Amino acid sequence: MALFSAFQTTFLLALLSLKTYQSEVLSEPLSLAPESLEVSIDSARQCLHLQWSVHNLAYHQELKMVFQIEISRIKTSNVIWVENYSTTVKRNQVLRWNWESKLPLECAKHSVRMRGAVDDAQVPELRFWSNWTSWEEVDVQSSLGHDPLFVFPKDKLVEEGSNVTICYVSRSHQNNISCYLEGVRMHGEQLDPNVCVFHLKNVPFIRETGTNIYCKADQGDVIKGIVLFVSKVFEEPKDFSCETRDLKTLNCTWAPGSDAGLLTQLSQSYTLFESFSGKKTLCKHKSWCNWQVSPDSQEMYNFTLTAENYLRKRSVHLLFNLTHRVHPMAPFNVFVKNVSATNATMTWKVHSIGNYSTLLCQIELYGEGKVIQKQNVSVKVNGKHLMKKLEPSTEYAAQVRCANAHHFWKWSEWTRRNFTTAEAAPSEAPDVWRNVKSVQGHCVVTLFWKPLSKLQANGKILFYNVVLENLDRPSTLKLLSIPAPANGTELTLDRCSYQIHVTANNSVGTSPASVIAVSGDPGNKEVEEERVKGTEDGFCLSWKPQPGDVTGYVVEWCERPGDPLCDLQWKNLGPNTTSTVVSSDAFRPGVRYNFRIYGISTERIPYLLEKKTGYSQELVPSDNPQVLMSNLTSYSFTLSWKDYAAESQPGFVRGYSLYLKSKAARCLPGSEKAVLSDDSICCKYKIDNPKQKTFVVENLQPASFYEFFLTPYTSVGEGPQGAFTKVTTPDEYSHILIRIILPMIFSILLIMILCYLKSQWMKEKCYPDIPDPYKSSVLSLIKSKENPRLTIMNVKDCIPDAIEVINKQEGTRKSLTETEPTKPTYLYLLPTEKSHSGPGPCICFENFTYNQAASDSVSCGHVPVTPKAQPSQLGLLTSSENVPKALGKNYVNSLGEIPAGETNLNYVSQLASPMCGDKSSLPTNPPEPALCSEYKTQMAIPMGLASPPSITLLDEGEHDH
Amino acid sequence: MRAQLMRRTLLSLVLGLLFLSTPAMGSCLDNYQELLGQLQKQADFMQHTSMLLDPYISIQGLDKDGLKEHCQERPGVFPSKDVLQRLSRQEFLQILNTTLGHVLHRLRTLQKDILKAQDLEKLNIAKLNIRGFKNNIHCMAQLLPGSLEKTEPTPTGPGASPSPTPISDAFQRRLEGCRFLHGYHRFMHSVGQVFREWGQSLSRSRRHSPRRGLRKGKHRTHLSSRNKRLMPRGWLPR
Repeated sequence: MALFSAFQTTFLLALLSLKTYQSEVLSEPLSLAPESLEVSIDSARQCLHLQWSVHNLAYHQELKMVFQIEISRIKTSNVIWVENYSTTVKRNQVLRWNWESKLPLECAKHSVRMRGAVDDAQVPELRFWSNWTSWEEVDVQSSLGHDPLFVFPKDKLVEEGSNVTICYVSRSHQNNISCYLEGVRMHGEQLDPNVCVFHLKNVPFIRETGTNIYCKADQGDVIKGIVLFVSKVFEEPKDFSCETRDLKTLNCTWAPGSDAGLLTQLSQSYTLFESFSGKKTLCKHKSWCNWQVSPDSQEMYNFTLTAENYLRKRSVHLLFNLTHRVHPMAPFNVFVKNVSATNATMTWKVHSIGNYSTLLCQIELYGEGKVIQKQNVSVKVNGKHLMKKLEPSTEYAAQVRCANAHHFWKWSEWTRRNFTTAEAAPSEAPDVWRNVKSVQGHCVVTLFWKPLSKLQANGKILFYNVVLENLDRPSTLKLLSIPAPANGTELTLDRCSYQIHVTANNSVGTSPASVIAVSGDPGNKEVEEERVKGTEDGFCLSWKPQPGDVTGYVVEWCERPGDPLCDLQWKNLGPNTTSTVVSSDAFRPGVRYNFRIYGISTERIPYLLEKKTGYSQELVPSDNPQVLMSNLTSYSFTLSWKDYAAESQPGFVRGYSLYLKSKAARCLPGSEKAVLSDDSICCKYKIDNPKQKTFVVENLQPASFYEFFLTPYTSVGEGPQGAFTKVTTPDEYSHILIRIILPMIFSILLIMILCYLKSQWMKEKCYPDIPDPYKSSVLSLIKSKENPRLTIMNVKDCIPDAIEVINKQEGTRKSLTETEPTKPTYLYLLPTEKSHSGPGPCICFENFTYNQAASDSVSCGHVPVTPKAQPSQLGLLTSSENVPKALGKNYVNSLGEIPAGETNLNYVSQLASPMCGDKSSLPTNPPEPALCSEYKTQMAIPMGLASPPSITLLDEGEHDH
Repeated sequence: MRAQLMRRTLLSLVLGLLFLSTPAMGSCLDNYQELLGQLQKQADFMQHTSMLLDPYISIQGLDKDGLKEHCQERPGVFPSKDVLQRLSRQEFLQILNTTLGHVLHRLRTLQKDILKAQDLEKLNIAKLNIRGFKNNIHCMAQLLPGSLEKTEPTPTGPGASPSPTPISDAFQRRLEGCRFLHGYHRFMHSVGQVFREWGQSLSRSRRHSPRRGLRKGKHRTHLSSRNKRLMPRGWLPR
């Protein structure tokens, strides 16, 4: 029983002590629960900010605690997030915790609660949760206002490729809401009747001003939207590097990543952190930053460059030894001293990069833009370098740069200086050549020399000295000084035996002399000219080696052959050379170049060896010859073109082509068919001998038409197409016509003319005309008398030459015998010159019927005219028309009185006397016939009618019968 | 290439307009007809949406079906054409000057959302254009009797207009900007028409009063308010 009592007492004490302990310890966890929980929102970041505290901690007591936080959406039972947050808690410390919601907080009501537990190793027995706090509700929707529609999140900034959740909140249940992303409708998930959520995955970058997402109600003009600012992925800096130039400042550089591509200020910041020193600096520039080197001789540096923007943070690291990143400054105080013709000294200084550091300096010498010398020199502070083997009077550029000799990092920049070496005497003799002419007994020597090259001149050539040494009188010297830049001179020498020394001189000295001799013997023996073919590379000339001592050869030519100045060129060649290629940019196609090859004797006398001529490129002939045609026969003709200058053509004329066109289908022997450029076909004669300047075209057809055209040809082709010359061969017999028939015709004609001229004379002499009475016209009158009616003699049958007007008294009728001789009055009707006024040379054969009485009374058979004729009537008779008519009437009256059968005809051949009035001389002395003698038809008149005819002049009315 | 050419054309045109608007250089044209012609041309030029609205819509991505329909002028922001036509000339110029001042201020706000250089160039050209136009309004007001003190030339520097009510929502801001610009171009179209009516009334009065000629100089004559509304000072008889 005592044992039981003792056990019971012990148990109670233990229980009590346990309870006491329990009451002491367990009362603490109960007071460590989170308190004063407050929840706030950050809409822009879609964050819930929680803050709370733990009140019942002992003073200075620190305990590790874990807080379990629950977040529910829409309703508290819908817990969407549970997280344990561990931290060290102090007494009355405000604890904070953030939670970023995927869903915009405006889209739904959120509730938060939490509980805590001690998570400290010191009191492991107290690791149990406190009670939950009450739910803290976050309802943003209630504070949105009264707009009918909202879209969230506003102006959210995300990175390309992110996932974004969007929602709209509608105040109206009636309208259907449609949402669009850049005009493309989105389909979402209805969170509650008024809220719809859209999940956008992997959002793209569309434009710098952001992506438009908007929602519209089906009815009304309600539109709400957001701009989702999508940035490009923020890239990390590239090529991060640091270096120092003076061991005092480090310059760090990098290449920032590509732009975020947003117009909104998505600012980027760059921070440089050095881990050994723990220093940090915010860089002011986007791509570089300076860092002050610590004075405590810190050698190693470990940099972290952090680039950061609103969305992302990027870092790169760099660890290096400071002395390994020395980029020296450019050398300074650089001079080029002691510049002679061949040497110069360069000196410089470098910036020190430490007490014992050595720099490696590099010197480069530039001549004519190229590096000709390169040298490395170790330098502490002062550098010096001797540049040798320089050319006199030459511009050079020397430059120097340096780098850390022990740990090369980078060269410094170059420091450059230009200098020119001093002049020296010309090193080479000028290249001299001559041209010798003999003018009026004098020897005119034209000297040419080529300017010395820069390397040979060693400075500026000031003048050339020409020393003439007369070989006949060696002691006689003559000096000429030709100022530069002359390249020749002309000398007139009394004799041609001279040795000429030419030297070039600059400010320092004289060049070696170039010697050339001029001989009295021109040596221009006739040398056959050979043709040489040029190529694009020039003319390849070769010559026979000369026996004996030859010190060299010279090839001479003119670059402008047509020019009087000719631009003489020459080329010196060694004694063992027997060929060379002459090339020049001045050579032109189609120009004939003549080359002369001289050998130089030991006395320096040139003598002509060979002549060459050729074209660098032959062309077709530029013009055609003027062709003359001669010896044209029925079967051939000869062509000649002797004036044609074949040498002036742009190529060697190899011959001529003669084109002959004819109607013949076949070509003549010696020719062949050819097609011209105008596709016409003709025959072609080929004349292969270029010296032939005549050609006989044979075997032609007489009286045929031919056309010919002659053109020269070179190795390239024929000359230009020209006009054809037309020729027609003569007929085969035409020469006979010309030589025989024509003279015959001429002779016959001559004879005929002579015969004609003599025929009258022969007629008179040999067989004069006997008048045939039966052919007289009077017969017709007589015959008409047989008609009982009056016969009218047609006056037309008579051609009177004069009318004799006789005054006769009316009523008195006298016989012919009784008729006193009266002086008749004549009207001259025919224009017989000189016969009117007096006796003329004419011999008249009148055809009056012979009547002795009448013949006695009327001189020379003039028709007696009745004196009845009135002056007025006479006036009418002056008209040649009226005269025959008037006479006709008169004859009618007269003949009417002649009885038929009484006609007795006497025929007398009358010959008019030269003296018409001299009747006595008629029978006895017949006159010589005159050239102008006239024979007129005689009319036989009956004797009864021999009385003076009574001629009645009719008036005009009667005349018309 | 085409955009560059267009920019150059616009720039040259604006510079030309600015050059014409001599008040910017301290002096005004005293030729009423010439000044009126300039104002008409400037208003016609400024009404083109290619000056501001079209680029803005393109930059802000508002050129999407279902969205651009909402880029319509909000009533009340700019005076309607009827209102403008009912105003006296002095009142019209006053309203025009004030409205354009607000436009300038608003453009400065819109500028914050347009940071791309080539787009900013267009905006700056438009601002220069408005300043030149305002100066010409001032000159016109000087030619009209009794309105000299009401319109002042536009300072070349940034104005001190009150800030508009800030809209935190970027989408709503750009939509409002689009609507504003739409209204601005419509407003300038109405302004051009009003100026054209001024010119037509000038022709009518010329026809009815052949003795009245354009007289240069600043001759002031007291007229009834009715006549003041009709006649510019340059046309008043001696």
